[in-house]
Amino acid sequence: MSSRPLNDDEVASEMNKMVAFIKQEAHEKAREIKVKADEEFAIEKARLVKQETLAIDADYEKKQKQAEIAQKIARSTATNKSRLELLRAREQHLQNLFSDARERIVELSTDEGKYTQLLQGIIVQGLLQLLEPEVTVYGRKKDSGVLQTAADGAAKQYHEISGREVKVNTEASLSDEIAGGIKLINGTGRITLDNTLDERLKLLEDRMLPEIRTDLFGANENRKFYT
Amino acid sequence: MSVQQSQGIQTLLEAEKEAAKIVQQAREYRVQRLKDARAEANKEIQEYKKAKQEEYKKLEGDHIGTTQTSQSAIDKETEAKVKEITAQFEERREKVVEKLLGRVVLVKPELHRNLKKVEA
Repeated sequence: MSSRPLNDDEVASEMNKMVAFIKQEAHEKAREIKVKADEEFAIEKARLVKQETLAIDADYEKKQKQAEIAQKIARSTATNKSRLELLRAREQHLQNLFSDARERIVELSTDEGKYTQLLQGIIVQGLLQLLEPEVTVYGRKKDSGVLQTAADGAAKQYHEISGREVKVNTEASLSDEIAGGIKLINGTGRITLDNTLDERLKLLEDRMLPEIRTDLFGANENRKFYT
Repeated sequence: MSVQQSQGIQTLLEAEKEAAKIVQQAREYRVQRLKDARAEANKEIQEYKKAKQEEYKKLEGDHIGTTQTSQSAIDKETEAKVKEITAQFEERREKVVEKLLGRVVLVKPELHRNLKKVEA
C-alpha cells in the first residue's frame, strides 16, 4: 500500500479500472440471463408442443376407434338385414303353400266311399278322446246321407277298441261351406271336439312345421341340437 | 480536491446506470424469448394438427369405400339366395301339399295308452 496520496494520473487509472469492472460485471450478468433465457425457451417450447401433440393424438385415437366401431355396426346390421330378408321370403312361400292346401281340402270329400270311411275313422278318433257314454255327431248338411252309416260303424269300432259302449246321435247341421269332417259334443253338452277337415289341416300346419321346413328348404346348416 | 471527488462519483454513477441498462436489456430479451416459445410452439402444434386431420380424413374415406362395397356384395348375395329359395320352393311345393292333404285324411284311432280295454 502506497503511503503517499495518489497523483492525478493514478486517480484516473483507478477510475477507469473501476468503471471497466462495473461494465464487466454487468455484461457477465447479462450473458448469464441470456443463456438461461435460451434454455428456458427451448424447454418451454418443447413442453408445450409435447403437451398438445399428446392431446391431439389421444383425440384422433378415439375418433379412429369410434369409426371402426361404426363400421362394425354397419356390417352387422347389413348381415342381419340379409338374414331377415331370407326368412321373410321363406315365410311368404310357406303361407302361400298353406293357403293352397286350404283350398284343396275340399276335394277330399268328393270320393264318397273314401269319405265315408274317413268320417267313420274320424268319429272313432273323437269317441276315443271323449270316452263319454253319450255323444252327438255333427256333420255337414250335405253329408246327412252318409253320416248315420259312419256313426253306427264308428260306435261299433269304438266298442271293439275300447270295450266301452256309447250312444251316438247324429245331426247334419254344420254349414256346407266347410270342407268336411265332423264335430262331437258329449251328452251333457260340456265338451266339444272339432274334427273337421279344416281344423285337422290347421293342426297339421302347426305340428308339421319342422318336417315341412326340411322338405321345402333343406335342413338348417347352423342348427346343432336335435332332441 | 472536492470537485475532483464529485467528478469521480459522477463517473461511477454513470457507469452504474449503464450497467443497469445492460442488465435490463438482458431481462427484456428473456421475456421476449418466453413469448417466442409460445408462438413457435403454437405454430408447430397447428401444423401437427393439420397433418393429423388429413390423415384421418383419408382413413374415413377408406372406411366409407369398404362399407359400400361390402354392402353391395351382401345385397347381391341375398338376392341370389332369395332366387335360389324360390326356385327350390316351386320345385318341392306340390309334394308337400300332397303330404299335408294325405295326413289330413290319415286316421289311426287308438285307445289312450294309460287305459285298458274293458272286457265284457
